[in-house]
Amino acid sequence: MLVDNQTNKMQHPGRFVLFVSAILLFFGCSQHNVRPQSSDFNSNTQMEVQAKSDAGPSQTDSENSAIAFQDDEDDGLDNDQDLDAFDDDFDEFEDEFGDEVTTEVFDPLSGYNRFMTGFNDKLYFWVLKPVATGYRWVMPEFARTGIKNFFNNLYFPVRLVNNILQFKFKNAGEETLRFATNSTIGLLGFWDPAKVWFGLEAHPEDFGQTFGVWGFGPGPHIVLPVLGPSNLRDTIGLAPQWIYLNPVNNFSTVYGWTGFEKVEGLEKTETKLGILAIERVNNTSLRLGEYESLKKDAIDFYPFLRDFYEQNRLKEIEE
Amino acid sequence: MKILLFSVIIALMMPPLIFADETAAVKKDAQQRINAVIDHIRDKSLDKKTRNEKIIAAIAPMFDFSQMAKLSMGKKNWSLMNPAQRQEFIDLFSVRLQESYLEKLDLYTDEEVVVDQAELVKNRIHVSSHLVAKDDKIEMIYKFFKKKNQDWKVYDVEIMGVSIVQTYRSQFAGILKNQSIEDLLQRLRQTGGFTVPTGNY
Repeated sequence: MLVDNQTNKMQHPGRFVLFVSAILLFFGCSQHNVRPQSSDFNSNTQMEVQAKSDAGPSQTDSENSAIAFQDDEDDGLDNDQDLDAFDDDFDEFEDEFGDEVTTEVFDPLSGYNRFMTGFNDKLYFWVLKPVATGYRWVMPEFARTGIKNFFNNLYFPVRLVNNILQFKFKNAGEETLRFATNSTIGLLGFWDPAKVWFGLEAHPEDFGQTFGVWGFGPGPHIVLPVLGPSNLRDTIGLAPQWIYLNPVNNFSTVYGWTGFEKVEGLEKTETKLGILAIERVNNTSLRLGEYESLKKDAIDFYPFLRDFYEQNRLKEIEE
Repeated sequence: MKILLFSVIIALMMPPLIFADETAAVKKDAQQRINAVIDHIRDKSLDKKTRNEKIIAAIAPMFDFSQMAKLSMGKKNWSLMNPAQRQEFIDLFSVRLQESYLEKLDLYTDEEVVVDQAELVKNRIHVSSHLVAKDDKIEMIYKFFKKKNQDWKVYDVEIMGVSIVQTYRSQFAGILKNQSIEDLLQRLRQTGGFTVPTGNY
């Protein structure tokens, strides 16, 4: 069985390489769109400011926007009571939160994204949350944590491949040690002795992050149905993950000796999706309340979630 | 001449030393305040209202809420607000941050907070800490700045790479693109509804 699976995989690399290079070409182009668009936005807001301070909706040329902004700054000071404090408070932070720093990301799909955020929100409150709440009531916490660990252990190939692709060889080695430890004395990964006993931390890396490390920009933000916030780069990163490194496919390869892959219907897409659904419910049951709280933090939920996702990904890629 | 040269060298070396001292002091202060918060959470004898008041009293002096509010609004939008609007905005914004903080504490009840290190980044001090949750680590960076003749205060908090000020900035900018300051204030008055209001304002 092991051999079968490996020969299967051997047929794919050609197609995989083709697929990846197609992606890369695409990204090479899309990346350039991001910055100029953002600076356009900046000059637009400056125009708006000018328009508002003139107390009239007159349009100004974008060439004048820099000068317009200077004028506006003076106007603001005239009306301000604590004159000294005003400039200091902002000027010191010009590099970090200055008006030059982009305040809004390039977001051509915002209409669709808003709709899909609402859809996912309903999905959470109407389906996922009730199911996960019931599941939590039935399953003790240690079992749920165990199941989560079990799935995480199966994602080892994703982490290994991407650590290597990002030249993080030490982390790749640690991941391998973790996998070896947890799959054996960790009882198929249900328990995490690698971390508890040996202090080996997981190094989660995915294809989206790898593309990021290679220098590809995120592209436009895309909210995926069911899966939630993503962007073009990360969405494309999901494809090789699903086809080649899906946990269900991997189970057969990794735990072939258990005879698990002989279970009928396991190769079906429905089964794989079903198993992913179980994983999702299980993970949600450990995080109930977090989404709700995050939602309350937002004044406008969609851009909040979008920025949260994009900033978090940026940090993950930097690390 | 030698003495002069020597004193010049000493003088040149002084600022980093002073900053090193201040960095350590800021870290120690942050550590103490966070510990106080944890003590209050674990103190089961307190009813929730008193507990929350004590937590806010312990942690709030570390933050410069009005600076956070200003930065979130941005210079241009700030200059368009009148003094009354500014004051209301600062108040609403501070309460939001505090209520959000309290609710997060409720969510992560038995977690541990570790203050890792404080480093000087230009003229700011970044104190990094992490929260050890059930299955993962949540990294937080408190960013301090120093106003003239005042203590070091937090002007932004970064949680898992996400800057609080930055997320508010783009939300406010987005809303103010199509709506007025008054609309935004109205929205701030309504939204939120955290389960643990401070009720101090």
